[in-house]
Amino acid sequence: MDYTLDLGAVTRNLGPLFDGLAVTLQLTVAANIIGITAGFGLALLVLSRFALLRLPAMLFVEFFRCTPAIVQIVWFFYCVPMLFNVFLDPITMGVLALGLNLTAFNAEAYRASIQAVPREHLDAGIALGLTPAQRVLNIVLPQAMRASVPVLLTNGIGTFQQSALVAIVGVADLMYQGKTLATQTYRPIETFTIIALFYLAVSFPVSQLVGWLERRRGLAAR
Amino acid sequence: MTAIPQDAALVRITDLHKGYGAHIKVLRGLNIEMKPGERVVVIGPSGGGKSTLLRVVMGLEEIQQGSVTFAGKPYISAEGSKTRIDTEQRKKIGMVFQHYTLFPHLTVLQNLTLAPRKVHGVSRSAAEDRGRAILARFGLDAKADAYPSQLSGGQKQRVAIARALMLDPQLMLFDEVTSALDPELVAEVEAVILQLASQGMPMMMVTHDMWFARNVASRVIFCAGGVVVEDGPPEQVLGNPKEERTREFIDRVFHIKG
Ligand SMILES: Nc1ncnc2c1ncn2[C@@H]1O[C@H](COP(=O)(O)OP(=O)(O)O)[C@@H](O)[C@H]1O
Ligand SMILES: [Mg+2]
Repeated sequence: MDYTLDLGAVTRNLGPLFDGLAVTLQLTVAANIIGITAGFGLALLVLSRFALLRLPAMLFVEFFRCTPAIVQIVWFFYCVPMLFNVFLDPITMGVLALGLNLTAFNAEAYRASIQAVPREHLDAGIALGLTPAQRVLNIVLPQAMRASVPVLLTNGIGTFQQSALVAIVGVADLMYQGKTLATQTYRPIETFTIIALFYLAVSFPVSQLVGWLERRRGLAAR
Repeated sequence: MTAIPQDAALVRITDLHKGYGAHIKVLRGLNIEMKPGERVVVIGPSGGGKSTLLRVVMGLEEIQQGSVTFAGKPYISAEGSKTRIDTEQRKKIGMVFQHYTLFPHLTVLQNLTLAPRKVHGVSRSAAEDRGRAILARFGLDAKADAYPSQLSGGQKQRVAIARALMLDPQLMLFDEVTSALDPELVAEVEAVILQLASQGMPMMMVTHDMWFARNVASRVIFCAGGVVVEDGPPEQVLGNPKEERTREFIDRVFHIKG
């Protein structure tokens, strides 16, 4: 294969790539804000004693867990405007699609951490005279929140990576800018390698942080 | 039964029935009357309902039939399919569990001050002063700012006892508080309980340590099959039981201990 690498073709055009990265980060941060807050509310619904609250919440979670993210995004972009007559700009649509997906996954993380709080701690809370609300606030939530952090971060980087899917519906994110640049310059190898490095540069430190948090937790649990 | 006036009992358990689900019957008509100042040790075969009994007295469980009074006033009663528990009465009772229950996200001192501050509205500084004083009494003053993960099992259980004492309980419940501990750590926890006993703290406890039971108990109850089989002073129940089932159990326990 007589293909000579020419990184210059890409490095001369970093501008659009950084624009794309900015959009990708914008999607990621916004989707995470939705996922971290709404995910918690959804977890409470999933754990509700009332079937009327619990069942729809569980259905929501399962829908997002059991369908491919790309199908969710495409469905969102094409079906929501038609079904509900709602027309939003592509980035907002992307944020909502990614955010709802993350909400479902984060709800699972919160639910698992809430249920992982040992029963005996709640018994001790009763023995200490704490009211149900005080037990939730002072015993369950602090422990569950701490236990959730690594999974929330992992899900958060997952969304960062999945956000590349919105390129196929025309959102000008990092992936989209990369595709455009690769086509313009006929340099797919250089372009997509550099795109991959962009994603890696953001994900890797976060994944290291997760590893560190989990090791620290493991030590503290002894 | 001798006629003891109602207010003479600290705890009066009457015809207590308690099971889990429809099929597991654990306590089947249990009656116990505990007088103030008594230190009751409950012994019996594993799975016989000793923990269940203590958990009922702590107000942690629903019951199917019967009632419990505390300090002469109604505390727990079965009413139809509901269990009524007086939560004000419940606050007068403290409990330490077999499993470690210190809250891992709080320091030792924060574990101690949480309930006084939230439940009794004690100021932080007053609660902390009290907490440090109790920790000092138990030789734990150096651990006030440590997290539970930094403590040994024996220290954790001593802190758990200190935490319960912060609320000035009128009755302490101990459910096998040393059975999760390495053997060399048992003594330091038992010493703290003996210290409380010598100060007159009423207590009801489950233990498999017969030597400790004999040292701490003013009364021993042998529970099996969900009822009280034998009830008397430690010399009798542990030393010279009247009931055949108690005798078999005691023989077996002492044989295992070698
Ligand atoms: N939460 C529960 N659900 C169902 N069964 C239980 C529960 N807790 C205890 N039991 C059962 O009740 C019986 C008595 O248990 P327990 O009170 O722990 O006995 P002990 O403390 O004397 O060993 C056992 O057969 C046990 O399996
Ligand atoms: Mg038990």
